[in-house]
Amino acid sequence: MRCFLLVVFFLIFFFGCGKDEVEQIKVDIPEGIVVPDDMVYIPSGNFIMGHSDYPDTKKGKVINQEAFLIDRFEVTREQFGSFNQDYRFHPKKARFPASLVTYKQAEGYCNWKGRRLPNETEWEKSARGSDGRKWAWKKYYEHPNNGFSGFIPEAVDDRDEWISPYGVYGMGHNVWEWTSDWYVSGKTSKSDSKLYKVIRGGVTQTHTVIKFTPTFFRNKMEPKAYFNFIGFRCACSIDCS
Amino acid sequence: MKILGQKINRRFFLSFFSLSALTNFLPQKVFGVSDYRNDKNIPKQYIQNRDRPGFFIRSANPFMGVDMNEWSLSVRGMVKTPREFKYEDLFGLKKISQVSRLKCVECWSATAKWEGFSFQEVIDMVQPDPKAKYVYLQSADSYYESFTLEELIRPRVLMILRMNGQPLSKDHGFPLRLIAPFKYGYKNIKYITSIEFTDSRKRNYWSINGPYSVDGTIQPGIDHPLDYKKKPLPINGGEVFHPFDKRPL
Repeated sequence: MRCFLLVVFFLIFFFGCGKDEVEQIKVDIPEGIVVPDDMVYIPSGNFIMGHSDYPDTKKGKVINQEAFLIDRFEVTREQFGSFNQDYRFHPKKARFPASLVTYKQAEGYCNWKGRRLPNETEWEKSARGSDGRKWAWKKYYEHPNNGFSGFIPEAVDDRDEWISPYGVYGMGHNVWEWTSDWYVSGKTSKSDSKLYKVIRGGVTQTHTVIKFTPTFFRNKMEPKAYFNFIGFRCACSIDCS
Repeated sequence: MKILGQKINRRFFLSFFSLSALTNFLPQKVFGVSDYRNDKNIPKQYIQNRDRPGFFIRSANPFMGVDMNEWSLSVRGMVKTPREFKYEDLFGLKKISQVSRLKCVECWSATAKWEGFSFQEVIDMVQPDPKAKYVYLQSADSYYESFTLEELIRPRVLMILRMNGQPLSKDHGFPLRLIAPFKYGYKNIKYITSIEFTDSRKRNYWSINGPYSVDGTIQPGIDHPLDYKKKPLPINGGEVFHPFDKRPL
């Protein structure tokens, strides 16, 4: 009897400590569309964009988005290094997201692959799905902050517990990602409307407190900037492959 | 018993002490300048952490300041021509000035007009080996920092001699400090005494003695600018510009 109880407790502990699986949205890929292994098909249809509490977003407007393909993972250092021979990275971090890359360099890589950078709407739909998620992985978690101040990226395929409803990795916890849109908000003057590109999906840090950003959270950056916290992924239309 | 026409009794005492308790809520400056030292055991004449209005002072290792009879700047390591500079030697270099915000990792930020010279001037004088991709800086207060060489030649990174139209004060790093506006304050080393070019990266003071990264790039988050009454404002990462800051052209 005692052994039986021990086994039961062990099984409860073992399965209780397992990673939460992210609820996925079932997608039927239309016949004739070929989706490359490293991309995800995002279906056409409505989704909620922005949030009413965030005035620089679409404030919860329903947007219709055509179907498209998006990279399942952020572009890695190894991948970017095969495009730009001068790009140096530690071999142990080959699967980490490419960073210290300007907007033009990111765009250049995507074009070289026959792809392009996603626009903001595509990015948000890929992260949020059609069920209005605040967090790509739906449930709210505190960031597992280790009391350290400084950006610590992770391998692009490390976190299957934080994937989006379409199975896209890294949308809200790893690097910020360049999108093709200029940052414009209600306060932006016409002369300033082409100063910054929108970046999406990173974390914020204030002293040693790290926070995930919601799927609709917008950040901006001068296109010439290159920092350790900015990377990118590519997208394309459904017939690009 | 009467004092100034007031009858001294139990009610008078209670009123008097209640009113005196209210003085705790009055602004400190009513009673003169506060002592901003954080640690009362450190002698007053030492440079140390002080929350001075307008621009806080941070010092990892309190000390008396640089003795200019002893000070020189040594530039060495993987270079063709190692050099030793005296203070006067640095004034012959091409001067650049800028207004930029120093953003502390602890959340506050403050602006100043900084004047100095670019790190490229140092590179030109000592000619580093092409394999020297890193730079290690040490200071008179036993502090040390490390950078990639590429970071130090970015626009708006300066070796600073003057602040707000005056030579650097003791508190702000006299005689020589670094300003790298896209890095947290702790990367902006003061009282620099040596610059060493290396082919591998060394760790910095706060990554060994605290929870701060070697890299120290300012991350997206919240800032509490001292020139905006420390009200929280969002920042997008890299050099901090608030809506009321003038951006460089």
